[in-house]
Amino acid sequence: MALHDPFTEPLIEGDKHYGTIDEQIGGVIQNQKRYHLKHPWYLFLGIGFALLNVLLLTIAWLLYQGIGIWGNNVPTAWAFDIINFVWWIGIGHAGTLISAILLLMRQQWRNSINRFAEAMTIFAVMCAGLFPLLHTGRPWVAYWLFPYPNIMGMWPQFRSPLMWDVFAVSTYFTVSLLFWFMGLIPDFATLRDRAKTNLGKKVWGLLGMGWRGSARHWHRYEQAYLLLAGLSTPLVLSVHTIVSYDFAVSIVPGWNVTVFPPYFVAGAVFAGFAMVLLFAIPVRAQYGWKDLITMKHIDWMAKIMLATGLIVFYGYILEAFYSFYAGSKAELALLQWRINGPYAWAYWSLILCNGIIPQLLWSPKNRRRLPLVWIIALVISYGMWLERFVIIPMSLMRNYLPSSDRHYYPTLWDFSMFFGTIGLFLFLMMLFIRFMPVINMFEMKDLLYKLQGTKASAPPAEPALAPAGGE
Amino acid sequence: MSDYVKTTEEPNSESRITNSESMDNSNEQKPRLDLDAVRAKLAGKKGAHYWRSLEQVAETPEFEAWLADEFPNRRSIADIDRRSLLKVMGASLALAGLSGCRGYFMPEEKIVPYVNQPEEMVIGKPLYYATAFTHAGYAYGALVKQNEGRPTKIEGNPDHPANRGAANVQMQASILSLYDPDRAQSVLSNGELSTWEDFLKVVRKDLADQKKTGGAGFRLLTGTVTSPTLQAQIQELMRDFPRMTWHVYEPFGQDNSHAGMQMAYGQPLAPIYDFSKVKVVVSLDSDFLLQQPGSLRYAADFIEARRVKNGDVAMNRLYTIETTTSITGAMSDHRWGVKPSDLLRVAAALHGAVTGAAPEKGSVPVDAIARDLVANRGAAVVVPGEFAPPEVHAACAAINASIGAPVSLVRRFDIPLGQTTGNVAPPTGPQGLKELVDALNAKQVQVLMIAGGNPVYDAPADYNFRAAMANAPRRIRYGYYVDETSKECDWHLPATHFLEEWSDTRAFDGTVSIVQPLTMPLFEGRSIHEVLDAIAGRPQPGLARVQSTWRGASGADFDKRWREWLHQGVIPNTAATPVTAGSTSTFTPAAPATNGGGLEVNFRPDPHLHDGRYSNNGWLMEYPRPIIQVTWDNVALMSPKTAQDLNVRSEDKVELQLRGATVQAPAWISPGQPDGVVTLYAGYGRQNAGSVAEGAGFNVYPMRTSGAMYYDSGLQVKSVGGVWPVACTQIHHQMEGRDIVRIGTMDEFRRDKSLYRAEEKLDHEEIREQNMYPDEIFNANDIPQWGMTIDMHACIGCNACGVACVAENNIPVVGKEQVKRGREMHWLRIDRYYTVNDAASEKAVREDNIGLQDPIANPMTVFQPMMCVHCEKAPCEPVCPVAATVHSHEGLNQMIYNRCVGTRYCSNNCPYKVRRFNYLNYSDNQPQFANLDFSTGLAWAPAPIHSPKEHGIELLRMLSNPDVTVRGRGVMEKCTYCTQRISQTRIEAKKQGRNIADGEIITACQQACPTNAIVFGNIADPNSKVSQMKRDPRNYMLLEEEQTRPRTSYLGRITNPNKEISG
Amino acid sequence: MVAEFVHPDDVLAAAKAARDAGYKRIEAYSPFPLHGMSEAMGFRDQRVPWIVFLGGLTGAVCGFALQYYIAVWDYPLNVGGRPLISLPQMVPVTFESTILFAAMGAFIGMLAMNFLPQPYHPIFNTPNFERASQDRFFLAIEAHDPKFDHDDTRKFLEGLSPEAVNYVEG
Repeated sequence: MALHDPFTEPLIEGDKHYGTIDEQIGGVIQNQKRYHLKHPWYLFLGIGFALLNVLLLTIAWLLYQGIGIWGNNVPTAWAFDIINFVWWIGIGHAGTLISAILLLMRQQWRNSINRFAEAMTIFAVMCAGLFPLLHTGRPWVAYWLFPYPNIMGMWPQFRSPLMWDVFAVSTYFTVSLLFWFMGLIPDFATLRDRAKTNLGKKVWGLLGMGWRGSARHWHRYEQAYLLLAGLSTPLVLSVHTIVSYDFAVSIVPGWNVTVFPPYFVAGAVFAGFAMVLLFAIPVRAQYGWKDLITMKHIDWMAKIMLATGLIVFYGYILEAFYSFYAGSKAELALLQWRINGPYAWAYWSLILCNGIIPQLLWSPKNRRRLPLVWIIALVISYGMWLERFVIIPMSLMRNYLPSSDRHYYPTLWDFSMFFGTIGLFLFLMMLFIRFMPVINMFEMKDLLYKLQGTKASAPPAEPALAPAGGE
Repeated sequence: MSDYVKTTEEPNSESRITNSESMDNSNEQKPRLDLDAVRAKLAGKKGAHYWRSLEQVAETPEFEAWLADEFPNRRSIADIDRRSLLKVMGASLALAGLSGCRGYFMPEEKIVPYVNQPEEMVIGKPLYYATAFTHAGYAYGALVKQNEGRPTKIEGNPDHPANRGAANVQMQASILSLYDPDRAQSVLSNGELSTWEDFLKVVRKDLADQKKTGGAGFRLLTGTVTSPTLQAQIQELMRDFPRMTWHVYEPFGQDNSHAGMQMAYGQPLAPIYDFSKVKVVVSLDSDFLLQQPGSLRYAADFIEARRVKNGDVAMNRLYTIETTTSITGAMSDHRWGVKPSDLLRVAAALHGAVTGAAPEKGSVPVDAIARDLVANRGAAVVVPGEFAPPEVHAACAAINASIGAPVSLVRRFDIPLGQTTGNVAPPTGPQGLKELVDALNAKQVQVLMIAGGNPVYDAPADYNFRAAMANAPRRIRYGYYVDETSKECDWHLPATHFLEEWSDTRAFDGTVSIVQPLTMPLFEGRSIHEVLDAIAGRPQPGLARVQSTWRGASGADFDKRWREWLHQGVIPNTAATPVTAGSTSTFTPAAPATNGGGLEVNFRPDPHLHDGRYSNNGWLMEYPRPIIQVTWDNVALMSPKTAQDLNVRSEDKVELQLRGATVQAPAWISPGQPDGVVTLYAGYGRQNAGSVAEGAGFNVYPMRTSGAMYYDSGLQVKSVGGVWPVACTQIHHQMEGRDIVRIGTMDEFRRDKSLYRAEEKLDHEEIREQNMYPDEIFNANDIPQWGMTIDMHACIGCNACGVACVAENNIPVVGKEQVKRGREMHWLRIDRYYTVNDAASEKAVREDNIGLQDPIANPMTVFQPMMCVHCEKAPCEPVCPVAATVHSHEGLNQMIYNRCVGTRYCSNNCPYKVRRFNYLNYSDNQPQFANLDFSTGLAWAPAPIHSPKEHGIELLRMLSNPDVTVRGRGVMEKCTYCTQRISQTRIEAKKQGRNIADGEIITACQQACPTNAIVFGNIADPNSKVSQMKRDPRNYMLLEEEQTRPRTSYLGRITNPNKEISG
Repeated sequence: MVAEFVHPDDVLAAAKAARDAGYKRIEAYSPFPLHGMSEAMGFRDQRVPWIVFLGGLTGAVCGFALQYYIAVWDYPLNVGGRPLISLPQMVPVTFESTILFAAMGAFIGMLAMNFLPQPYHPIFNTPNFERASQDRFFLAIEAHDPKFDHDDTRKFLEGLSPEAVNYVEG
């Protein structure tokens, strides 16, 4: 494949006009026969559903027995539960970042992936939210973490980073949801107007809230949308910063590191984009959106992964450096434990996955080798999970008093819980692809208009179909 | 927890009922009872004698039914229902309070509380009774706490000479055995339920036949017996049956000592050491701080004589030459590990050196030691190992005689009083059993009565006791558990717990204590006194029998004296009188034992389970053993070098071959173990011995033969592949150069009294300034501020404090698998570090970064009791999202269980890692006792918490301390400084309108500590003991640089090496 | 009176022309925001930003007040010897609540100002109007415009070369 100049390269390829965009995107929802029955959508839905049931089973057993079914112990009181929480939250960052920050930066290329990424954000945060709730010893009283007047006269304790988490995550979820839904309103209207079936008309009509695209509406709509983006930008940065406080604020060797906030945020974006690519590459192939999500998008996302990956790698190096710089015996012992303790393999494969392998993306050629990019994205997702493993349980295993060092071993239930949430995520994503406009239609039209001007308007004739089929 | 409340409330209500006062204001719990009707029935009855509980008077149907059942408690505990158990408990209040109707041959008996008289029992206020706990024949004075008729805790009796208020682990844990669901509950005939009446019919007939032959075929086998009453009873029995024989067998008794004294003095004497005077102690493989009948007292005196009081460094010196690791070795200033086969050689050399002969050169600088001994003539003593060969005892006796050691010799009082000469005494140790076995094999035994002991399990392998005893037509077993031996007997008689019986017993120095019951038998047990009298055909209550022993001794006004004795817990002036015996001071060593090739082996009683008699006790099983920190298993202890030679690592499954027996065991590397010596703890590998004991460890007795009861050689060890997971609570053993346990020689102490050793400079003032937080949040000037000091110079690592904490704070047993996962619940753990004597060599050791795998020949072992240190700037508190752990005005770091949601963040942020989390529902489940299959290493998924063992819970709940919340699943817990004790004292003080006096509050750990290493008190009061301790130059705060400001501080340990040796 | 256009530029031009022709009550409908349309129609409205700002302000105040009230007034506790008012530890929650309230303000403000949800509107009766959300652009001059006259306005719109011009009863 010849080298592409990302700046002259079009963001939308092929002969497009407004109608074809509607057809391509809306048709996925409204024209099931053509787009789903012959596609492996049901297969993935099935996988997701099966894993979802594993999750439900695990949760039931967890509530019945107590979190002792996991491998956590003292000193390693946090393990898979918090690893998975941080991992999912991290993945949840790409969505809002793409939507908000790139919107503010007027990055047109975001339009074809933001809806998709936002949905991922919401589902990822849902998965993440499970863990803080279920990792508590007594989930049935977890609501005590919310400040509400009660007969106990007790309030939450706002010095605790866990309280900050509660606020950060819930805010993040709410705002992402609003942002996502707001973006959907005009598209709902479009679907409403395209709907053939009566039911379709009703449902989309309800969701569309009677949107009629008047200029005044568009005016306020854009104001609000831009402001939401403006608000989400500091929010998305704050969320993972606060998550990193869970560790940075404590006095645990290996946790109380000032570099955590920036490198957690970078890591989040890193992981988030990896997950977007993991989904976007197959989906665009599946639904024939190669001309909407172009190689240019892939290329740019790969670049962002590379950049954030470098920041993360820098973070790892700093961590090691601090251990020496601080000179605390506990910190040094911990570093030694990481690089040649029983879990050293985790540390080194972390370096490999997040530090070394992403360097392949330096080459523009590689950035356009879809299978390679996809595999790198997969490796990165795994690496980011390892990062949390190295940070959380591996730090806890070593202590100020060597006598309290103990080993940690996960149990089957730890894994079933983790893969269960992956199932939940997959399941929701599949439903989303099936029932929601995966690409923001009105923004694509806007983009089309900007790119092609008047010739974007359709001849009265029935618009031609976009070519389907994979790479 | 609601259940828990119920179980404690039930007895209350019944107790209110048993004492007919306060009946009206008692909030009645059984509405179906018509109190007026009851009063009517009561009218004209002589209360105590005729009714057991209100149900009986009221003749409620269910009580009728309960009565109708002839043996209400004989059902297997599996289907016993809580109510009936609690009725028994309720009835036991009769004892505590007013009336005691104890079954058909037990009339009313009065027992006397130690502190407050129960004219009227105050519900919710515990009563304390003095009694005595007997371990392997020797007594320790006990103060037993009783809540509403439930004995709930055993503490030391300050007036008792053997322990002076301290307690050892077995003593404290024995309360758990009282409520052990697996204990024998009823009379069994060939495994079938039977009754005492049937048994007596049968045995009386047998004995009638025996009468004809003068009892030639009647054999009695017991453990060590020091109870005067029991001795008298046996003598009576021997009078009835002149030709009967009484055998005594203790698997780990004093027999070597006895034989050695016999050798040295030609008399049955026992040595009693006075460590309070001693300046130099040499231990020849003796663990006199833990393993001797007088250990608690010895430890106290020994530490008192080396205690460092503000800068005064006059302290005694301890040399230990031992064949394995022991806490005595850990406390010593010089320690050498030698092979068992060398022990006698060393003893002889030392004797030679002391008596002026030219000492032979060996690994141990005996000449230097001898010089030190002689220099301190009159204040030096050599202590032979409990299990060392008799010759070593003889040698030590000779040395002690020649240096005028403060050792008093008393006549052995495990020999019945009437008898004067040794040869009349039943031969102890293996010989005693040998005669029995021979008689059995010769079919000379018709009636064999085994009272105590478990010979089928722990007899020497070469006797093959199981087969031998089959030759006796009538085999009667009186025992606490239906164990291996019971299985071979046609009658099993349930024994009483010592809290259920009247008896008497003697301490290491002969002091007699009366054993008074705190509850009527929970099941159908009878005391041994009652049983012997019954089979002898003159049944009488245990109380009467015991009193009859002492009526003569008391002189006039017996009842008054009796009350005093019970009240004091000891009978004054009953200590054995020292005898002066001419020692055969010219000791000629026998030919030293020769090593028969292979590895040498060292049989030891388990530090907690002893010979196995406590192996079904969850507290003892789960609390980590001293030094090795292993739980739920015994292991093949070997030195790092030996392990390298054998090419095995810890937890490797190995096969031990000795004298034809082959046993599989986990290897375990133990620094300080002499090379080429394998130490094996006995007491494990039990079969059908209860849910705790089963599946724990391996049985060493098949390898133990009468010829080599304690030391043997020719052991073959080979790895058979695979691992034997061992639940060990400490995986790192070095301080890694951190300032954790401060330790130094006396010179170092003189140089820097703080004993600070790590490289970085530590400046208290600077650290305090670095702290940005306000010193005080609320004004707490006029309130006491609680604090604690732990003197590691005094701590001998005996675990007494840890088990005391378990008993006081309702700490659950979690089981091997959970411990292996790192979830043991002990609030108080005893950290053990290996280090070296002085800073210089420590640095050297550290630089080649020693792990447990790397050999350190002879490390110094230090102990550090570690529980919540109650930081003033606690890191755990700000991270709790629900304020479930906050600070009290008195400076306690409080844990509010009901508020805890279980995020476990506090545990993560605790630099001392002293918080414990209820990962599963530990408090009222016992899956922990299920024997999990560890063959594949650690189980992938923990076992379900529900298991058939639940039945025991209701019984075990009666043990709970009502003043301490039982924690449910999902909450964090930790040491509270025994806040319940603080509150009780505070309330008392408030009621009397005074301040809390210093030393008025004693925490459980402090109370149990034999060496007073733990001091608790008000640090706001400059004159309090704890404040004085904190002014000691050795006082330091652990991890001070973390700005936690702990309220518990530690005092460094000083060693007193001999310049001549250490150079 | 509604005119239908194919090209966004046309409708923009039309709107401008209509405004120049002195029509006041104009409304344009498009499947995506046409930049410059507001200006073309001379329509400006800054209320939504203000709502967002006020929301943010409320959030900040509430967030901080809540923590202060709990820590200092209602239930002061000695938590690890930290001061009752530990400001740095109050920042994150204050920040988050600010964002939350502001975002709520933006969303609800937008809907409220647009009188959404509004299931029915006369404009929906325009023939072919469903394509207003897809690929067609409409310009409406409302009847109660002072300058509105049925025939003149129709002529005027037809002069702007639309696809079609329809009269819709409002």
